Amino acid sequence: MNLKNIPRYKILAVLLTAFSVLIFLQMIRIQTSTSVEYLDEWAEKYGVEVRTIQSERGYIYDRWGHLLAGNKEVYEVGVELQFVKNPSAIAAALSSLLGTDYAKVLAEASTPYDPGSSVYITLADFVTSEQITEISNLKDQYEKGNPLGEDPALPSLRGLTWTAHLQRIYPEHTLASNVLGFYTYYDRDEGAGYFGVEEKYNELLAGIKQEVLISLDPYEMQEIPTAPAGASLILTLDREIQRTVENILDQAVKANGAENGTIIVMNPKNGEILAMASTPRMDLNTYWEADNIFTDGTPFNKAVSQVYEPGSIFKILTMASALDAGAVTPDTPFNDTGSINVGGTTIFNWDRGAWGEQDMIGCMQHSLNVCLAWVATELGPTAFYDYLNRFGIGHRTNIDLAGEEVYPLSVPGDPMWYPVNLGTNSFGQGVAVTPIQMLMAASSIANDGKMVAPHILQAYIQNGQQYNTTTQVVGMPISEKTADTLTQMLATSLEQEASDALVEGYRVAGKTGTAEIAVNGQYSSNATNASFVGWGPVDDPQFMVYVWLEKPQSSIWGSVVAAPVFRDVVKELVVLMNIPPDDIRLSIKGK
Amino acid sequence: MTESRERTTRRRERARSKGWLTQAFKQAPWRIQVQSVGLFLAALVVVLIVAGVYLSISGQAAAAGVGAYQLNFQRQNLERQIADRKAQIAILTSASTMEQRASEMGFERIDPSQAVYVVVPGYAGKQSVVLAPPPGIVESQQVMIKSAYRQSLWDWLFSGINRLSDSTRGGNE
Repeated sequence: MNLKNIPRYKILAVLLTAFSVLIFLQMIRIQTSTSVEYLDEWAEKYGVEVRTIQSERGYIYDRWGHLLAGNKEVYEVGVELQFVKNPSAIAAALSSLLGTDYAKVLAEASTPYDPGSSVYITLADFVTSEQITEISNLKDQYEKGNPLGEDPALPSLRGLTWTAHLQRIYPEHTLASNVLGFYTYYDRDEGAGYFGVEEKYNELLAGIKQEVLISLDPYEMQEIPTAPAGASLILTLDREIQRTVENILDQAVKANGAENGTIIVMNPKNGEILAMASTPRMDLNTYWEADNIFTDGTPFNKAVSQVYEPGSIFKILTMASALDAGAVTPDTPFNDTGSINVGGTTIFNWDRGAWGEQDMIGCMQHSLNVCLAWVATELGPTAFYDYLNRFGIGHRTNIDLAGEEVYPLSVPGDPMWYPVNLGTNSFGQGVAVTPIQMLMAASSIANDGKMVAPHILQAYIQNGQQYNTTTQVVGMPISEKTADTLTQMLATSLEQEASDALVEGYRVAGKTGTAEIAVNGQYSSNATNASFVGWGPVDDPQFMVYVWLEKPQSSIWGSVVAAPVFRDVVKELVVLMNIPPDDIRLSIKGK
Repeated sequence: MTESRERTTRRRERARSKGWLTQAFKQAPWRIQVQSVGLFLAALVVVLIVAGVYLSISGQAAAAGVGAYQLNFQRQNLERQIADRKAQIAILTSASTMEQRASEMGFERIDPSQAVYVVVPGYAGKQSVVLAPPPGIVESQQVMIKSAYRQSLWDWLFSGINRLSDSTRGGNE
């Protein structure tokens, strides 16, 4: 049969038909192939991917936007066993570049490939990008010399892979470590925030973590689920003030031979914590050292977690209560004979001396225990403890930091309360508070009677929107008049005493405190807690500073060791907070 | 008998005349063959065109799917890199580093007594940082991927028919 005799359209028809038939046959062949079960199984197994969607942990900023906690890129290095050509080359490379154990890596990289169980093995984690660059360069170099790793005699890093992920980082290292807390980033599955802000706001920072099924079939394309980053926090802390306060604290602890120390700076009008420093501190990037640094039950942040007998700074609460109740006025006379009997126990002054005729300013100025015990008895136990309750003594401040402690306040009727407690409590013995508790109580005196809740969170950013926190007034234990009267009394007493707390150009109010520490049930006059709480400028308080030095060796007195620390802090504060000297400020205000 | 013979004769003549007419309009066999093959080819070509269009659309959908995965992967990379750069900037501008740099440049901490205060009318002082807009703007939650990238040709055809029938029904009501 001659093809030339067949019309071209018939040839075309035959070819197209044959082509169509072939396609049809191929479809039938695929559907009836002996491998169809395997293909189905393969599609079922690998058609979807289980992917863990993990939010990026939120950032933490100071009040001006300086990053205090962020995330950096690191890598997990592993081997895909199916593609490994030369395990010894991999072991040698990682040993020299990452310092891993050669024998261990060699054993792992030599694991036979098993699709059911052994596919991928992690060899190292948290590898820096610089190290990855070196590994990558070496891999490329080997690949050029031994393409596809076919020559077993030559080195090849085939099968070696790396995957990026994020690691928590604290760029300021030890700065504000007591406040920030840390995130246990080495535990990639169960990592969590511990202490401070990281623990308190762990859920907010962490965002979400979930496993989702993602189809790998591009025809079944869907919106790939994403996990929005965890909320970022803007703290009330001022990085510069925090650093300055930490430096002053470290110097004070060292110079006075104190065991530890704490300084808090707060805005008395809104409760914003501008700085909170405590010793010891740690580099948060090496959080695993915490157990070695905070030994013997030392709290991570003493400012909120350590209760102690505050001593004479507590007198401001006693005096505030008595003034507010009308039990005394600044001019009320008191003849100090050097002792007073309260509840069958004799109470003495700090120097065991008799200070003679005094008014209430003199009592505060000389910090007379006998006088304040008398004031408390004049006030009476019911009113006295009622006021302490209103000041928040015995209650948590609920500051937004993890681990806040509280010591219960014994009141009349409690099994642990005795009549003498009225006397000792009046000057801060037999009662225990945390520094933040004391600061919150004192804020009512600095803030026209309004007591504000101390807080560390200024705002948080979630889903691209910033939510600011608001000031919370938690009570008004005393009147505005009482607060102003006591502030003036305290400022005057500091001036008359020529206290080391005074700052040239700025009028400040405050009170020193020296509390004996009970050792084995007995108070020791050699071991004291030296404290100072003060605020300024008196006419318009913009800062409150709380200083506490534990067991200072240079002197046991708060007036000697704590008052100068207050002054040093305030001298720096007024510059960092742009507060002009009183005369300039008042003249500007007058204009 | 004569009548019936005449009727038979007329019937035969009519049948003969009809057969002649049929024969006159019948196509040549080769033409019928060409037509059949042509029709078959036309149908085949239509099927192939539809299959081709279907393949093309499917191919585009697959490519878009793969592209979406790649873009998502790229986005994750970029997010990690942004986080890393932020951390690096924070390290370079940390308080200790800045203080050291300032010290090296000859700056020193000011004493309060040395400070000179200048009144700047209208200046409210340093304001707290605002890193994001306040709440109030409701973001739309609509699906970002167009339906064209999510539907097969048949889905599109059927949804079109459904829409058409719905609108017709709606119009009658």
